[in-house]
Amino acid sequence: MARARRGVALALVAAALALGAPAAAQGLRTLQVDAFGMHADRTHLRIGEVFHLAIHVHVHERVTALDELVVPNVGTMQLEGDERRVTGSPTGTDVVETLTLEPAAGGTYTFNAAYLDAIDARTGKPTRFSAEPVRVVVDSPVPSYPRPGTLSRFARETVVVGAGVVTVVIVGIALYRMRRRRATAPVFAAPPVAARLVPPRTPRDEVADTLRVYRSAPANGSLVRLRGALFAAAGAQPGATLRDALGVTRDLPLRTALGAAERTAFGPAYLRDASSVELIDATQAWLG
Amino acid sequence: MSRPRDVLDALHATIVGQAEVVEALVLTLIAGGHVLLEGAPGVAKTLACRVLAAAVGGVFRRVQFTPDLLPSDIVGTRIFDQRSGEFATVLGPLFANVVLADEINRAPAKVQSALLEGMQEHRATIGLQTLDLPAPFLVLATMNPYDSDGTYPLPLAQLDRFLAKVVVAYPSLDEERAIVDRFGAGEPPLQTNAATLDDVLRWQRDARQVFVDAKLRDYAVDLVRATRGAELVAHGASPRAALALVALARARAYLEERPFAVPDDVRDLAPAVLRHRISYDDRIAIAGTDPEDVVRRIVASVRAP
Repeated sequence: MARARRGVALALVAAALALGAPAAAQGLRTLQVDAFGMHADRTHLRIGEVFHLAIHVHVHERVTALDELVVPNVGTMQLEGDERRVTGSPTGTDVVETLTLEPAAGGTYTFNAAYLDAIDARTGKPTRFSAEPVRVVVDSPVPSYPRPGTLSRFARETVVVGAGVVTVVIVGIALYRMRRRRATAPVFAAPPVAARLVPPRTPRDEVADTLRVYRSAPANGSLVRLRGALFAAAGAQPGATLRDALGVTRDLPLRTALGAAERTAFGPAYLRDASSVELIDATQAWLG
Repeated sequence: MSRPRDVLDALHATIVGQAEVVEALVLTLIAGGHVLLEGAPGVAKTLACRVLAAAVGGVFRRVQFTPDLLPSDIVGTRIFDQRSGEFATVLGPLFANVVLADEINRAPAKVQSALLEGMQEHRATIGLQTLDLPAPFLVLATMNPYDSDGTYPLPLAQLDRFLAKVVVAYPSLDEERAIVDRFGAGEPPLQTNAATLDDVLRWQRDARQVFVDAKLRDYAVDLVRATRGAELVAHGASPRAALALVALARARAYLEERPFAVPDDVRDLAPAVLRHRISYDDRIAIAGTDPEDVVRRIVASVRAP
């Protein structure tokens, strides 16, 4: 009888899990993850030295928070700080989470990949985006054993036991402080989207990139992107006209480039070559 | 050789403010279309038309539309000459370069139709004779939106003949003070001959050569298509609206001495082209929505290239 009841209970749990899985998938946000990186500012250090582990995600959408981002388990490391910054940019949103860590023991630490689950805006499928793992080497302090005979065996054992107790306490505190939101299992579910840390892009970076593309291939598509980047750099909203863009910037070199972009984009063919040169020169002058 | 800007300056020398109205008159002149001015009495609708006619020279005629007006009062008629014993053709006021149809909605449909046929065809039939109207030929019609008693609303098909409809607003405080200063001691003399009729014909030819990029053409078409099925709209604008929008964008570029049109031209002129080509459904009155807001929303909904 008891076995039968247990069987029914297990079946109910299985059914609940089966129903819960698609519901969780439906709860995912649709995001276009353009860059995802994890980076340590120091990969070789000593016990007691502080280092930073930075996770950067750039999504195409304008979001105010990225709660889906799961940072790696920092294990026995002492967590000294955790700061998450969300910054809007013309090309989307940058989320940078910086963990300040202090190793409590020597050895080689591998931080598993940070990840986030979302519906990939490019494919429409649920996807786990992740960064590459980071490895940090922590040197143990040079051992300084007392000369033989200066300490009794009892004293040496007391030191060893005491050190063990202290280590256990430190590890326990660290685990308690991080329990709230750290992933507990290493994840290598998906190949990394971008392994390098991409710093937040500025409108100027975007203009520089699109100018480079336009220079190498001055086609209509690259012109549209360069003009869009210039408009964004001026602070104009998508779909703005030249007058809108000129209305929000007093930057004379940028205004000159905007005018040249308009002439190149909408001028007749016989003027296009000259205005294209003017656009490149004016944009380069603005970039400096 | 005069430039369109000379006519613009002549208009501004007399008309206080009303920059949109003044520009629309000159643009319509360049584009070879006709314009409908809607506004309360006394906001310089008629004066603007007279100043424009004086500035470009040519023959100016004004017709006050009333309920008892007949088509022959506009087009002309044939009169029997007792001395010669033959019928002679007497041309009506439609045979002028600039015709001011004052309060066009006060005449019945057959009179409106006679005028609008001349606007579209640039010719008029009197008896058995079909005569070309002079070139350039520009009709400026006015409407008062408030006194609707005894009026004959223009059907959508006839409104479509007007290239643009401009809403003439009340002047600002400073403008109204300037009006009192400028016109308080009588109407100042109008600036004449800022341009010639030949100049106008040349502008019309040259403006047709202004370059319009395919992206801009698509933008104009998208704006017109956005009127169809828009909220509170019963019937959207016809393809003629896209033609009008591109023609006016060319005229604006020509006025500003640009060899090509830009998105600002299309976006700025879209309300003037669309507002009289849209009919609204009954819910607009229930919702208490201003038709101008509907037009603004439609224009804002289409992303400029």
